[in-house]
Amino acid sequence: MSLSAYVPILALFALATAFTLFSVGISQIVGPKRYNRAKLEAYECGIEPSPEPVGGGRFPVKFYLTAMLFIIFDIEIIFLYPWAVTFADLGLFGFVEMLLFIGTVFIAYAYVWRRGGLDWD
Amino acid sequence: MEPGYYVVLAAVLFTIGAVGVLIRRNAIVLFMCIELMLNAGNLALVTFSRINGTLDGQIMAFFVMVVAAAEVVIGLAIIMSIFRTRRSASVDDANLLKY
Amino acid sequence: MNGFTIATPAQVLAIDVRLPDLDYAAMAPMLVLFGAACLGVLVDAFAPRQSRHTIQFALSFIALTVALLAVIREARVGSRELTADVALAIDGPTLFLQGTLAVLGIVALLLVGERALEKGGPFVSQAAIPVGSEADRRQAREEGATEVFPLTLFALSGMMLFVAANDLLTMFVALEVFSLPLYLLCALARRRRLVSQEAALKYFLLGAFASAFFIFGMALLYGFAGTVSFGGIHDAALLATTSPLLLFTGLAMVAVGLLFKIAAVPFHVWTPDVYQGAPTSVTAFMAACTKVAAFGGLLRVLYVAFDRARWDIEPVIGTIAILTMLVGAILAVTQTDIKRLLAYSSIANAGYLLVGALAFSKEGLSSAMFYLAAYGFTVIAAFAVITLVRDDDGEATHLSRWAGLGREAPLVAGVFTFLMLAFAGIPLTSGFTSKFAVFGAALGVGEAWPVALVIVGVVTSMILAFPYLRVVVMMWLSEPAEQSPTVAIPGAFTSAALMVGVLATLLLGVFPSPVLDLADRAAEFIR
Repeated sequence: MSLSAYVPILALFALATAFTLFSVGISQIVGPKRYNRAKLEAYECGIEPSPEPVGGGRFPVKFYLTAMLFIIFDIEIIFLYPWAVTFADLGLFGFVEMLLFIGTVFIAYAYVWRRGGLDWD
Repeated sequence: MEPGYYVVLAAVLFTIGAVGVLIRRNAIVLFMCIELMLNAGNLALVTFSRINGTLDGQIMAFFVMVVAAAEVVIGLAIIMSIFRTRRSASVDDANLLKY
Repeated sequence: MNGFTIATPAQVLAIDVRLPDLDYAAMAPMLVLFGAACLGVLVDAFAPRQSRHTIQFALSFIALTVALLAVIREARVGSRELTADVALAIDGPTLFLQGTLAVLGIVALLLVGERALEKGGPFVSQAAIPVGSEADRRQAREEGATEVFPLTLFALSGMMLFVAANDLLTMFVALEVFSLPLYLLCALARRRRLVSQEAALKYFLLGAFASAFFIFGMALLYGFAGTVSFGGIHDAALLATTSPLLLFTGLAMVAVGLLFKIAAVPFHVWTPDVYQGAPTSVTAFMAACTKVAAFGGLLRVLYVAFDRARWDIEPVIGTIAILTMLVGAILAVTQTDIKRLLAYSSIANAGYLLVGALAFSKEGLSSAMFYLAAYGFTVIAAFAVITLVRDDDGEATHLSRWAGLGREAPLVAGVFTFLMLAFAGIPLTSGFTSKFAVFGAALGVGEAWPVALVIVGVVTSMILAFPYLRVVVMMWLSEPAEQSPTVAIPGAFTSAALMVGVLATLLLGVFPSPVLDLADRAAEFIR
């Protein structure tokens, strides 16, 4: 395999670097700078990292709920990858089967949504 | 690398998990040991897939992963509902049911 | 470590995509149940609260009836085939056991759907609310969760898939599809919630432990045979080019997973706790349907995949069968709780079923299938009676509370007496005909192991008759305790379930031949 096959990847790298530099730079120059307490806190999703609670502390139970939902919906992806790779060979049959599969997952999603599994409070 | 060693590794991991289930007392740790056993099974599956030269084993590993995830969710839900009442995840404290 | 040839990555990647043929008519029972369960989830998400119970019950009932009709249709067509590549085997045992599962499922559903005995039904409204909290006291008055219906349907579809599974992977997925809903159902009792949750925890941890063994066994058998289909394992065992170590270790570990589900000693420790802690209607469902499904799977594994290894596995499983019968019967004698007593009796019955399975003959197979059907009806009816004997704190399951029940409620006590006699194997009940069939099949083989098993079986049956008869004597001859429990008036659903269970127990005892013939004609696996 010649190196030319990697040219698109290099181009993507270049594009990504350029976009990052551009957006960070432009927001430094033109963005307004108004600070408040919330903005100065460490960026963490979830619970407050400080002051550190004694003994590591306990997480609110909601985190477990969200994590469990995440696992279930996340793991379904491992069937989508092999399907996507062989999509052309599987044809319409594979497509319909995958629609059924996603539909089943969606039913679970509708249940979680209606029964308040996605509400934080 | 000789693939047979991976079968041995899988067997060792499985044994560690099984022994862990038998000697540990915290439900969450027990549960992690069971996950270790499942993953040992996965390792064995992909190793045999390589040895046999068929892809079936890798596909089976996918199924095991998905089932394991579903098991995690159900198991954690049950453990949590007990924990919220008792404030303890030790299986020794779950002792209402006996002779 | 030597002797393995390693395929190059290029060989591995050469995929040849071949779409499987799916026979939708043959898969209809499972598809109908699974579809109805998905619909049930949507009903729970979108239907208004007060109408959920009615919709869910009707939906489940219709789905099970349609599934039963689909099984009957398939049986009349007389199809014997492997479908979905070789993943599913639609043959006589599959259809017989699927039909049994559908009928027993309907009867158990009647108990699950009963709401006349207790306000709001036997299930908790919101299982996530911590026990003893303020919210828990508030929800005591609310209606029970209707998620039990989709969960029951999911479990039944998994069981139907389990008895049809013709490779280890399908079998494993089916095993989990029916186990996971059962773990949840166990945790949903309205009364004594801590005990119920503890039962679910024990069932779950030990069940997951057993499935891990199943997976590792599957991996080893895949290493041995290069495939996990039962036919492939059978062929590989014939040729045996690779080390038989993989075959026997794999078989042993797969067997651990299956023997756990049928509650054979030494994998039985979960049974009494789970039977006692789970809501009684769920216990009835588990005792009848899980036993059918798990034995169906075990029979297929033994008869289809490992019949060549028969001489090697007979001593091991034979010893397990003897232990199962002995431990079940002896520990049943010491029990003081009626649900635990029935749990140990169910363990002993698993032993009798193993006697039939180990005959390794057509008669062994057909008698085991007949036994499963007969036992299922009797055990559901017995648990239905247990739901009726109540006091302020829910069901009164301690045996001392049952003293003198015959004077208070002669009809219920009479029905329970009949069921206990059936368990004890008195003639003119299905308990006698099924034990007779199983022991007869084992004696028909005329070899040392089956004969030894039958001797142990007869001796333990006599031991086991003692606890049953003790309950009967207690109900009729003892003085009632000071605060005797009341016997609730059964609702229409429980009455129907009781009627079906008792009638089936009687009819299979008096005229067993139609069902015996059916089982006999069905008793042939395809490979």
